[in-house]
Amino acid sequence: MFLSGSRDGVSTIDGGEGGYRRLNRKCLLSIYFGHAISYAFLLGAFVLVETYAQGFLGPGYDLVRYAFIAVLAIVLAYMIVSPPVFYARYRYQITEDRIDVRSGVLVLRHNLVPIERVHQVEVSRGPVNSMLGLADVTITTAGGVATLSYLDIEEAERVADMLDGLVGRMLKERVPATGPAGD
Amino acid sequence: MIVPGERVRCHPSVIVEKSLSVVVLIALLVTRLEATAVAGVLAAAIVALLLFNYRQWKLTTIRFGETEIVVERDTLFKAKKTLPYAKIASVNVNRGIVNRLFGTSKLQININSGSSATVPEAALTFGEDMADELRSAILGALHDGEVLPDEDEATESLVSFSPADVIVHGLFSVPTYQTIFGSVFLAYSVFELYTSAGAGIGGDSRALVSLLMFFVVQFGPAVSLIFRYYNYRVYRRGETIFLQHGLLRTYKTSFEVSRINAVRVKSTLAARLLHRSWIEAEVVGLASGTGESLRPVLCLLKDDATQQRLLRELAPEFVYDRSPERQPAGAWSVLLIRAAIASFALVLAMVWSSLYVYHAATALAGIAGAVLPWVLPLATILGVLAIFYATHVSCRITEFDTSKDLFTFVNGAVDRETVVMSYDRVQMVRVERGPVAGFFGVARARVYLLSSTGGTSISSGYFFENRLGAIGETVMERIASGEYDWRRNSV
Repeated sequence: MFLSGSRDGVSTIDGGEGGYRRLNRKCLLSIYFGHAISYAFLLGAFVLVETYAQGFLGPGYDLVRYAFIAVLAIVLAYMIVSPPVFYARYRYQITEDRIDVRSGVLVLRHNLVPIERVHQVEVSRGPVNSMLGLADVTITTAGGVATLSYLDIEEAERVADMLDGLVGRMLKERVPATGPAGD
Repeated sequence: MIVPGERVRCHPSVIVEKSLSVVVLIALLVTRLEATAVAGVLAAAIVALLLFNYRQWKLTTIRFGETEIVVERDTLFKAKKTLPYAKIASVNVNRGIVNRLFGTSKLQININSGSSATVPEAALTFGEDMADELRSAILGALHDGEVLPDEDEATESLVSFSPADVIVHGLFSVPTYQTIFGSVFLAYSVFELYTSAGAGIGGDSRALVSLLMFFVVQFGPAVSLIFRYYNYRVYRRGETIFLQHGLLRTYKTSFEVSRINAVRVKSTLAARLLHRSWIEAEVVGLASGTGESLRPVLCLLKDDATQQRLLRELAPEFVYDRSPERQPAGAWSVLLIRAAIASFALVLAMVWSSLYVYHAATALAGIAGAVLPWVLPLATILGVLAIFYATHVSCRITEFDTSKDLFTFVNGAVDRETVVMSYDRVQMVRVERGPVAGFFGVARARVYLLSSTGGTSISSGYFFENRLGAIGETVMERIASGEYDWRRNSV
């Protein structure tokens, strides 16, 4: 865990390449597991088509079947290849004023969330991520949501605490100064 | 006159208002079922519903305190809702047919919330005068005791909108795709009526279904808009914009200019042929709860010059001298490749059905045998031409430009939209590029704002990544330099 830029008890998270941090390699396992579950559903749908669709599709059955097999092959290739690419490209950085996330497999995304706009921070993890010691941090603004995915649990908690601290400090600074006499 | 702190109830007509639709539905069923046991049960259900709504009304009280409004329901499922005046975004009054029958108005109170932007936090029915009085009092409290102008005074609208303008708005502000579908349904129903006049059976029902679809898709929305914006007036007093309109249901809406997050100047294809456009604003906290458009309209469909003049007078905060930049050459390549892929997919999807129809129709005699085999191939060719034409128009019209406080996206090949946004209202920025866009060195931006319907995102065309990245950097610079005033902009 690399913390830097501590100010007023609130640290910022950066470091690594150009100030960006990368994910733990364990995220690959979690992504592959999620993909395996999705693929199982897709295979289930294929089995249903194989078993029951011939009757009502008639002469179009072969076309649908081959199209389905093609989709299965493409999805399988994507599911195998995409996690390492996702891991290699995922970068995030949290400074005193912003959250910066770069991610994507085919489409590269660069998300910028000013800390000033953060309304809510949530740490969540499903059963697979819990087993692997990973968690997601969901950052909610009034206009949309940004997610830091597959962080180590301790790091996710630290990110959430730090964001809470930054937002809390900002709100505290905005409260009009009142003296002991209330003036 | 309500005494501060005193507990009051809504007008009893709210019982009828809440029960009416269900009662009518059940009553219809009862008349169908005549004197059966089921009819008796349904009649009992009407009585039970009326008693339930009576109890809800009796046990729900409202207290207008010094600092907040408290709505409390003391039924089996108890509830207490506190609405601090400081958090209230808007207080609006609207009157439906039931309200007019009973001489009441519905007071709708909204707070600044993205999560419940589409539904008012409280919708309270009072006598018409009392609702107006309460609205003035609450608005007064929102404006630090400042006395607001009486809206019933004959205040002149900044631009006058005749009934003809309202009708034109209703007819030509319906999205183009709806108009096209509606016209196809209308044409088909006329065709069926014409052919069935000679042939007899079957055609009438098809014509009726098609006519019904025309009403649902095109005519209904157009008439709804005409009713909604009849007698439209818009004016600005100080920092507040006032809107009044409505034929059967009347609307009185007001909001501070500082509540506007973005302004959209819109025109459909038909509207552009008439050189007209209309203006909508993204204002959070104006939910009417009626399921109609939540975005307040600042100007109905008017000629472009009038629309621009009205925007300058009404919301000069969202007007600046634009120096738009067009998409770079790389964007044209991306859009053309996208069009080619879409066309290929369309052709692929149509090949099988075209061959099927071709073989089935060539056996037919007469005009049908000569025309039908070529209908789908011709439709496919037209579809491909439409895709490339829309791409060409999109390349030509998509714009992006920035100023010190505002920036603008122009989008839309068919229905066009110019969105002017304030940096200080941007919640989040996402710049994204796919493999093709990356190859040509361009990207798209998605700007997240708080809108009238909750969170929304507005997309740009394809521009250089560093140009789009400047949006987020400008947002950050304004926060850091103190140009961003959280007192005015915070949500």
